[in-house]
Amino acid sequence: MIENRPWLTGFSHLVLILGVLVVALPVWVAIVASTDPANAFGVGHIPLWFGDQAFANWHQVLIGKEGQASQVLRMTLNSLIMALGITFGKIAISLFSAYAIVFFRFPFRGLEFWVIFFTLMLPVEVRIVPTYEVVANLNLLNSYTGLTLPLIASATATFLFRQCFMSIPGELVEAARIDGAGPIRFFFDILLPMSRTNIAALFVILFIYGWNQYLWPLIVTTDDAYYTLVMSVKRMLSVPDGDIEWNKVMVSTLLAMIPPVLVVIGMQKLFVKGLVDAEK
Amino acid sequence: MSDLVLRNIGKTYANGYQAIPSIDLTIEEGEFIVLVGPSGCGKSTLLRMVAGLESISQGDLLIKGDQVNHKEPAERDIAMVFQNYALYPHMSVYDNMAYGLKNRGEPKSEIETKVNAVAQMLGLEELLTRKPRQLSGGQHQRVAMGRAMVRDPKVFLFDEPLSNLDAKLRVQMRVEIRELQRKLGTTTLYVTHDQVEAMTLADRLVVLNKGHAEQVGTPMALYERPASTFVAQFIGSPSMNLIPSSIENGVLQLGVDSQLACPQFSTDKVMWGIRPEHVDIVPLQDADLSLQVKAVEALGAETLIHGSVKISEDKQYPFVVRLSGNHAPDIGQPIGLRVPQQAWHVFDAETTKRIEPL
Repeated sequence: MIENRPWLTGFSHLVLILGVLVVALPVWVAIVASTDPANAFGVGHIPLWFGDQAFANWHQVLIGKEGQASQVLRMTLNSLIMALGITFGKIAISLFSAYAIVFFRFPFRGLEFWVIFFTLMLPVEVRIVPTYEVVANLNLLNSYTGLTLPLIASATATFLFRQCFMSIPGELVEAARIDGAGPIRFFFDILLPMSRTNIAALFVILFIYGWNQYLWPLIVTTDDAYYTLVMSVKRMLSVPDGDIEWNKVMVSTLLAMIPPVLVVIGMQKLFVKGLVDAEK
Repeated sequence: MSDLVLRNIGKTYANGYQAIPSIDLTIEEGEFIVLVGPSGCGKSTLLRMVAGLESISQGDLLIKGDQVNHKEPAERDIAMVFQNYALYPHMSVYDNMAYGLKNRGEPKSEIETKVNAVAQMLGLEELLTRKPRQLSGGQHQRVAMGRAMVRDPKVFLFDEPLSNLDAKLRVQMRVEIRELQRKLGTTTLYVTHDQVEAMTLADRLVVLNKGHAEQVGTPMALYERPASTFVAQFIGSPSMNLIPSSIENGVLQLGVDSQLACPQFSTDKVMWGIRPEHVDIVPLQDADLSLQVKAVEALGAETLIHGSVKISEDKQYPFVVRLSGNHAPDIGQPIGLRVPQQAWHVFDAETTKRIEPL
């Protein structure tokens, strides 16, 4: 669509700018509040400009105050382990299941695919009680395995890889067979490199999904050695008495936002390529 | 020793559909065999059975005397060039050619020597580091052939390799494929639906129709003595003129006013045929047959005259004449044709098989 109407251009920009402002405002508030004194947030108005406590707040959260070491690094590490575990686990298991479904003929192949597809309707939140019981019976509470394993099975990723594999021409598969590539060689030499961009795109989505997990870690961990960053934000709000330290809450919030942002920025190019590219 | 033997080979699909009832074929070393036929005739299926990509329902497939029915494609020592080339898009030209050798576990230095030798033969040296998407159509084709040649197989299999190229490139690659095959002396099985390709490439042609081998022979043998109306119409362009007619008392009843003296055949209901290039134009009063001109295609070196022959009061048959040089008959007017008897092809009207004079 090519139009040349100045007021329309101006209007579109206005709408977009307003949208950006609406989205950015909470982030702005978080950044500002992380520099204010503890009480600035709770007195009836929201501060919109920087305070003078930035260094003190961040120092306290990152390093800890006297006599009490900070938990933040530990929690960031936990979050990272969980997010990466979920991401790589999901990608690996989806790649294998999609490979089986697309390239191998076995009985009930179609049914199996639909059963996998059906689990889309059963996210963790729905099956949380039975899943908890299974994890508890396996003695996996308070462990990284318990944090990641129940979240790894993924219908979405399997479906995506299935579509991606199905678009690979049959002749290519046959050429590989004639070249003497067995199923495993074909998977690692041909399929994996050809799905590189799709894997990258999925990595971004799944990393954010894993990183933002809240309910599951909250339930499955009782030992603070396994607390994740995201759930800690909530824990900081439920102090038994006294004031909530909003400034520190905001520092933690910002910290929790950084890794997903880095992943998105770092993999932006591959991400877009993976979703729109037709290299095959 | 025969290189490739197909003995009573057949293919029946799980749903009961019989794609190929039974085919026997013995291919000598270094022969270039072209499988030709219309789409759906089973030519690709047959090729894929030889390659090992399609299971063989019956019969024996022998490569250099070894029965290979149940061997994996890679173990049959064949190489195949696909219609869309099927190059690995993420690998460089070099890796594409080297992949099969790598999987065989050949040493790196040997792979390098072989790939470079083939690349030089095909003029691909400059392109070895490129990815397939940076290549043109003709270059794709060359790399696909290089990938096959590098393996130094016992048999080359080609599955309509030229149909994705433009007309000019197709002619060029056709000549190149033929030259390369002669130079390498590798037994070749080549599938195409294009009869010009088939005629120009083949040492021997196999014309397939509904899974049957209608006729096997050299291109010239098929052109000169087609075994059935199917082969007659498939080989040669424009295809042979065929007119249903009858023979009575040594007279061929061709058109309403055309009776030609003719030898005796075993049957009197026949399909009479003549190739467009074997017909001459003569004045109407000397003509064997008169043609109502409908369209004229002047191609410079030759002229195609399309028209129709009246075989009864209400029935007409299309007829094409091919003349060298430039001719301009009036459209809508009749012209006289001479159809010399030595150029006739006569087929049994019922079995469609070729018949000879008694």
